[in-house]
Amino acid sequence: MLELDNIETFYGKVRALKGVSLKVREKEIVTLLGANGAGKTTSLRTISGLLSPARGAISFLGERIDRVPPEKIVRKGIGHVPEGRSIFPELTVEENLAMGAFTRKDRKEIQTNLKRVLASFPILEGRKRQHAGTLSGGEQQMLAIGRALMSNPRLVLLDEPSLGLAPLLIQEIFKIIREINQVGTTILLVEQNANMALQIADYSYVLETGRIVLEDRSVNLLANPHVRETYLGMRAKGGKLRAYPGHR
Amino acid sequence: MLIQVIVSGIATGCIYSLMALGLTLIYKSTEHVNFAQGEMAMISGFMAFTFLTYLRLPLGFSFFLALLSSIGLGLLMERVLIRPAIKAVHFNVFIITLGASIVMQSFAGLVWSYDQFPFPSLFPKKYFNLGTVRLDTLSLGIICTTALLMLLLFLFFKYTKIGTSLRAVSQSRDGSLLVGISVRHSFALTWAISGLVSGIAALLIAPVIFLSSRMGLVVINGFAAAILGGWGSIPGTILGGIGLGVLENVAPYYFPSQIRNIIPFAVLVGVLVIKPTGIMGEGRKKRV
Repeated sequence: MLELDNIETFYGKVRALKGVSLKVREKEIVTLLGANGAGKTTSLRTISGLLSPARGAISFLGERIDRVPPEKIVRKGIGHVPEGRSIFPELTVEENLAMGAFTRKDRKEIQTNLKRVLASFPILEGRKRQHAGTLSGGEQQMLAIGRALMSNPRLVLLDEPSLGLAPLLIQEIFKIIREINQVGTTILLVEQNANMALQIADYSYVLETGRIVLEDRSVNLLANPHVRETYLGMRAKGGKLRAYPGHR
Repeated sequence: MLIQVIVSGIATGCIYSLMALGLTLIYKSTEHVNFAQGEMAMISGFMAFTFLTYLRLPLGFSFFLALLSSIGLGLLMERVLIRPAIKAVHFNVFIITLGASIVMQSFAGLVWSYDQFPFPSLFPKKYFNLGTVRLDTLSLGIICTTALLMLLLFLFFKYTKIGTSLRAVSQSRDGSLLVGISVRHSFALTWAISGLVSGIAALLIAPVIFLSSRMGLVVINGFAAAILGGWGSIPGTILGGIGLGVLENVAPYYFPSQIRNIIPFAVLVGVLVIKPTGIMGEGRKKRV
């Protein structure tokens, strides 16, 4: 469905992505793991067109999209929930969601979609007329996801949806991600919470300083000693694995 | 008599509000300060003048064409001067618009001379008595037109999809792009609306202060009004404009008449010293 082929992206003179290739198959949850600065966010921003790659190709549903501007990429069916959420703080929750459907014309379908989003995020229903800036972090995250869903995307890019949220809310968000996936939406998830991400994802990639260093089915990565030590904070000791407290 | 002075102050204030509104719309969506706002208004005035006197078109039609050309001028400014500088810092864009204002002023001087011209109004200059107060239709016309325009703009920004998308762009550029709003088109549309607003301001004020290539200086009052009302606040432009207009008209009533010219600058300095955020300003909000 989505394929990155040897993508290189620069921030000024810094080569943030040094030839990233990855594939996302339809209906899957794919996760992109990595430490801070590994290039996870850069990868997502390159896919959705906020950054344009210097080299390489991106294709989505068989079509090249690496030179398409972001406002057109969303029309092709890619929704992006960016890092930091980028909601519209001085628009109401309702207006934020309506803007999510900016590219769509059919009012009836938009209404149905809105109802579905509000059903997945009941907390937003009660806050419809509030300014989005007054919401809590978790609510804003839900709004950002809801807004992306309003474009009726086939692929959703999620950038650190659990960042800064309380553990219970993280559970809630991951539950919602699974639900979105179950209705047939493909998901590319970037997470620092590797443990949660690996449990939910079908397939995973590990990014280190702008390169994919490891890829496999998530079940295999969960057993991989390098992944366990570096990303799950566990270390083999006397043949036994022990979790460090406070691991990410 | 005082009430009469206040009413004409409100009328002048409406013009300042429109200037301030033009500045604020552009500032809110692009964070640029357009120093050429007054000259855009002046050119619109001269366009109407040209259609009327040289092409001898009817008044209403001339005004309509002038407003179209003010929209065109806004679009042209955005396309030719601002968009190529999209990566420039705000200060550079400010200098670009300052340069544009000087070019437009000199251009107008070359084409239409540096003279002052009387300018017709859509509203007849008639007086009538309301109780003991003597009011003139010109002032009332200015006030009503401004009120109507403000109302229409409010409805547009609040209730239409495009209007909401313009507000969205001013709040998060990434967010807008990701939901499919073209930020470039939004900027162009903002400049078009701002051009239209300044064009309307020109057609309203020219009958009062005469048409001249120097009338663009009214932008100073626009800045003073916007800062008095709270820089970046749309309701603030209305309050600030009217406040400034009334102050300017009432002060000569008690003090020597030259005080009128000092008022916008006094207000600017006063607000910046006493309450830099103005009446409605919220200051700079930092988001986490």
